[in-house]
Amino acid sequence: MIEVIEENERYIKFLLKNSFPAFANSWRRAMKSLVPTMVIDYVDFYVNNSFFYDEVIAHRLALIPIKTDLNRYNFQEKCSCKGVGCPSCQVIFRLNVEGPKVVYSGDLVSEDPEVHFVYKDVPVLELFKGQQLMIEAVARLGIGKEHAKFQPVSVCFYKIVPKITVLENCNLCGACVNECSKKILRIDKKLEVLNILDCSLCKECVKVCENKAIKVEETNDFLFTIESTGALPVRTIMKKALEVLIEKAKEMNKILEEVHQTS
Amino acid sequence: MSGIPFDENSSDFPIRCFSCGAVIAHFYEKYKDLIKKGRTPKQALDELGIKRYCCRRMFLTHKSIIKELIRFHGAVG
Repeated sequence: MIEVIEENERYIKFLLKNSFPAFANSWRRAMKSLVPTMVIDYVDFYVNNSFFYDEVIAHRLALIPIKTDLNRYNFQEKCSCKGVGCPSCQVIFRLNVEGPKVVYSGDLVSEDPEVHFVYKDVPVLELFKGQQLMIEAVARLGIGKEHAKFQPVSVCFYKIVPKITVLENCNLCGACVNECSKKILRIDKKLEVLNILDCSLCKECVKVCENKAIKVEETNDFLFTIESTGALPVRTIMKKALEVLIEKAKEMNKILEEVHQTS
Repeated sequence: MSGIPFDENSSDFPIRCFSCGAVIAHFYEKYKDLIKKGRTPKQALDELGIKRYCCRRMFLTHKSIIKELIRFHGAVG
């Protein structure tokens, strides 16, 4: 079960309740490395007499996320063109500018008006007087496993939500309140836990307690924090990652059945 | 503010944060504007919504190397 704490299109913080670490971690890894996004992968340089080397410019272009429509494009290796490159598996961005000028990501003209950079004001390079840049950049789908530039998420992590129990032999000495670096404990007639989600499981409160009256345990809940680069909305990333996991589980089942039959 | 470079060329500012991979390049010019308006780097970064310290150090420590690149222009290729 999922309980959303904070959400907008690029950022989500939610609790995954009553699950187990294997699932939480495989979901996290699937979001990071198996969800496809579109990114510039190949750049043709016709003219470049700027101060930046070709490969530096190509590298910088590849790091700018592109708004991706997953239903519209195929992977190049699975496309009917067999990886040659056609309008259904790649998008070409063209640029022809002369200095003096700062070249922004928005200056590149896309072949497909619906596929464009997420951020239009990323400075790519500066052209000085008399310098010219004429390039053709090819964007394609890929996954984070192949290259980190294809990752749809920047920050994507979870932590196990702890459970703090105060036993009856607590003498309200307040040592744990002073020791807690996240300030989640408070004494108000009895020892109270304020915001359990801030707890970092350092267990300093357990170490400092003389009566052993406080217990910090791990639960089956996970606090996920996901931040999208903007290529895909976070909800799409989460859904797509689960779809990929289901596919992988099915494949695994098939292999297991085959092994079972042959043995 | 002494020692912190704050008026560097934005054209070779890293597009993504080295550690977390968040896109940050489009903030650098806004950051420079805020600094010119008299904000401290802390205030400027808070205003731009850059929370993590990995991303914040990218702004605080950016030093443009474009002038060094110019010296080698035309030397190769």
